[in-house]
Amino acid sequence: MATAASLLLSLFIWPLLTRPAFAFLDRGDTYRRKVSLELNPGLNSSHTAPLGVINLLHVRATGNNDTLHFIFCSQGAPAVLLVHTNSSSSSLKVDWLKFLSGNLSGSLKIEPENSVHYSSALVFTRLWEYDDVNDTADPTHLPPSSFFPPYELQNFTWEDLNRTLNYTTHTAQLCGKGPTESFHNGSFCLGFSAFESEGRGPTWPRLLHNANASQVRFWLKGVTGRSGFSRFVLELQHIDSKELSSQVETLRSIDDEYTPSIFQVSQWVFSPINSTSPILGYVQWKPVAYRTESPVLNDATPCRHSHLMPMDQLPASDLFLAYFGDGYSAHGLNVTFSIAGDPFYNATDYLSWTVLVGLGSPPTESFSALVIGIMALGLGIPLVLILLGGVFVCVRKQRSVPQGYEPIN
Amino acid sequence: REWALSDTDISSERQSLMDGEGDSFTSRDGGSSNSMLAICDPTRLAHRFVVLLLMCFLGFGSYFCYDNPAALQTQIKQDMELNTSQFMQLYAWYSWPNVVLCFLGGFLLDRVFGIRLGTVIFSILVCVGQVIFAAGALFNAFWLMVFGRFVFGIGGESLAVAQNTYAVNWFKGRGLNLVFGLQLSMARLGSTVNMNVMGLVYHRIWDWRGSTGYSTLGVVLMIASATCVFSLACAVILGYLDKRAERLLNKEEGKTGEVIKLSDVKDFPPSLWLIFIICVGYYVAVFPFIGLGQVFFIEKFNFSPAEASAINSVVYIISAPASPILGFMVDKTGKNILWVVMAVVVTLASHMMLAFTFWNPWIAMSLLGVSYSLLACALWPMVAYVVPEHQLGTAYGFMQSIQNLGLALISMAAGGILDSRGYLFLEVFFCAFVCLALVAVVVLYFLNLIRGKGENWNVIILEPFNSHFLF
Repeated sequence: MATAASLLLSLFIWPLLTRPAFAFLDRGDTYRRKVSLELNPGLNSSHTAPLGVINLLHVRATGNNDTLHFIFCSQGAPAVLLVHTNSSSSSLKVDWLKFLSGNLSGSLKIEPENSVHYSSALVFTRLWEYDDVNDTADPTHLPPSSFFPPYELQNFTWEDLNRTLNYTTHTAQLCGKGPTESFHNGSFCLGFSAFESEGRGPTWPRLLHNANASQVRFWLKGVTGRSGFSRFVLELQHIDSKELSSQVETLRSIDDEYTPSIFQVSQWVFSPINSTSPILGYVQWKPVAYRTESPVLNDATPCRHSHLMPMDQLPASDLFLAYFGDGYSAHGLNVTFSIAGDPFYNATDYLSWTVLVGLGSPPTESFSALVIGIMALGLGIPLVLILLGGVFVCVRKQRSVPQGYEPIN
Repeated sequence: REWALSDTDISSERQSLMDGEGDSFTSRDGGSSNSMLAICDPTRLAHRFVVLLLMCFLGFGSYFCYDNPAALQTQIKQDMELNTSQFMQLYAWYSWPNVVLCFLGGFLLDRVFGIRLGTVIFSILVCVGQVIFAAGALFNAFWLMVFGRFVFGIGGESLAVAQNTYAVNWFKGRGLNLVFGLQLSMARLGSTVNMNVMGLVYHRIWDWRGSTGYSTLGVVLMIASATCVFSLACAVILGYLDKRAERLLNKEEGKTGEVIKLSDVKDFPPSLWLIFIICVGYYVAVFPFIGLGQVFFIEKFNFSPAEASAINSVVYIISAPASPILGFMVDKTGKNILWVVMAVVVTLASHMMLAFTFWNPWIAMSLLGVSYSLLACALWPMVAYVVPEHQLGTAYGFMQSIQNLGLALISMAAGGILDSRGYLFLEVFFCAFVCLALVAVVVLYFLNLIRGKGENWNVIILEPFNSHFLF
């Protein structure tokens, strides 16, 4: 009797408990794109280059009947431009004369222009550093005197992207140094990756990406903090082609397999103001940063983001100005690293954070096959045993039914 | 076996508790007992009440200090710069000596030291172990901390055996169940107080010293060792009172009466092995979880450290009142296996709730507390039913030995899993072990049904609740 009760209980509870978990079962995104990279397309020696290198990486990800263009450029402030066209033969045209001479407007085009469905740009504008003497890790409540002059990324000198470009893994690394002494032995780096299909990054936070996403990993290595209690804040800005509403949300996630002890996902989504329309693009990250290159659990430090702020001035990214021209607005976001009680930057002189920039809805986490397998076995075997045992016992009872009369005592 | 009583013994026991007089003690001089104060007379209730108090506090220090790592997880990991795998060694090394000591505890207390000296020795070991643990923190030497836990473990489990032997010796036939219940409650009170208080103590010391770091941790752990000193004092006084009672009443020194014969292992029936599997599978999903629980609640459910500690102690808080009540219920209905099934299923549900949902964890932890108490009341008496009396000592010793082995191994595995794959995978890992216990209990149920042994488990076992990990 009580077995039946327990059986019913378990059969009842399991769907109830696993309904939220079912959302995490892998639906399998099998969409693939063909990715090709080219650096500085159309640039030849006849174009007089200004001081420094030109780093304009064009990634072309072709799908069945659409193309996704990622343009990663370090002119001005480093930026990632995402353009989605509904033709599989769209291409990038750069007017280098205009682009290099400073007359930026219209110097970058995706042709044919009427095939452009969606475009947006994410710009890394500033790196703030503040003196956290009281160890609160809360820059919003600190006086302006705690803040050091910010590093304007448009004033950084960047290394040649050609040396770190990898055509097989579709990755590139952009490292630069600021104008001050702090960057004597260190650099500010952005690692760009494009993907052909669904997968996960190799190192923490192992963000789940698909063919419609690209990943930008930011890290500071060897940069000297300007005080013994330095902490950093990274400022990002985002511009869109239409009047879209952008909002930042932090979702709870029960799966922390790939980012141990982090149960949240933050995403900055852009959708038309008519809210029933689907999400057109996103910037997604896990609110965690790492303090060493090969981090262990102790090296994880949570990060927080500020509210979206409409920006008065447009970012000084050449890429943005070249493609979008005038008449667009930007929203800014500050990402604050570390919380009160965590070690300061100078404990390891290293900080890294990863963000995903992509088209459509942001990817949702799913359980790994191992977790699903263990739970299936763990719950299935007892149920099977109960069923088999119950059947066996019933059969035995049937067989031992007396053949007509009761035995006399 | 002299410790197994039937229903009639229990009712006569209740009656004799009312009388306050026992028939197992005889006084040397029938008249002289009247001239002493009630509190000094070993035959009178007042004196036995004092002895009861001392017995209860005997284990307080050990239980208080056992879960110090869980209460100070963040601080220990930060101050000693440990990862979770190293942190869990503090628990694993408590269990390692007890894999062997479970078999030796009774022997040491009966033949080598005697109950009185043995209790004092084990109390000293508990005290010394905790002091070494604290010293390790003071000198920033993690190996010393682990060694301290090892010494603490040698003393802790054997002290529980001694505590129970005292209880039987003084209270057999006079409310022994009640005494066990009280001892259990005091023990779990110690665990609960530890969980809720140590974080605050650390904060106070931090404020006072103005800095954090391993020396602050060392000071805090030294303060915790004061409870062990207190328990040691109780052990000494108890030893004196026991010796005095022996002199006045001409009674025997208490014996555990445990007989361990390792050759009996080959005679163990399959039901007993299934019970062992249930025991291991279940307890490795509870104690390591509590050890790592505080940070889990902070990270996943955004609790404050104080709240996370409170919810971590819920299992112990519930266990204190629930165990006697559930024990009574299990005794009355007699259907132990079904209660074990229910306890395992509820624990599985609780772990799945914590893993796969964001539902309020108070629910899951309360369920875990109730099912944990239920399992203890239902599972351990089952051993007496499947094994003949003369093998009971060996069977229980084996069960505790395997339990400690499982705890030692899984504690370290849990730490490693958390470091590499996070809390969800850790919870799934625990669920897998509870499922193992579920498989074992289902097989046991059908085995029992097929063999037609019936479901009358109405045997009440009192003595061998010797393990820290039992209640």
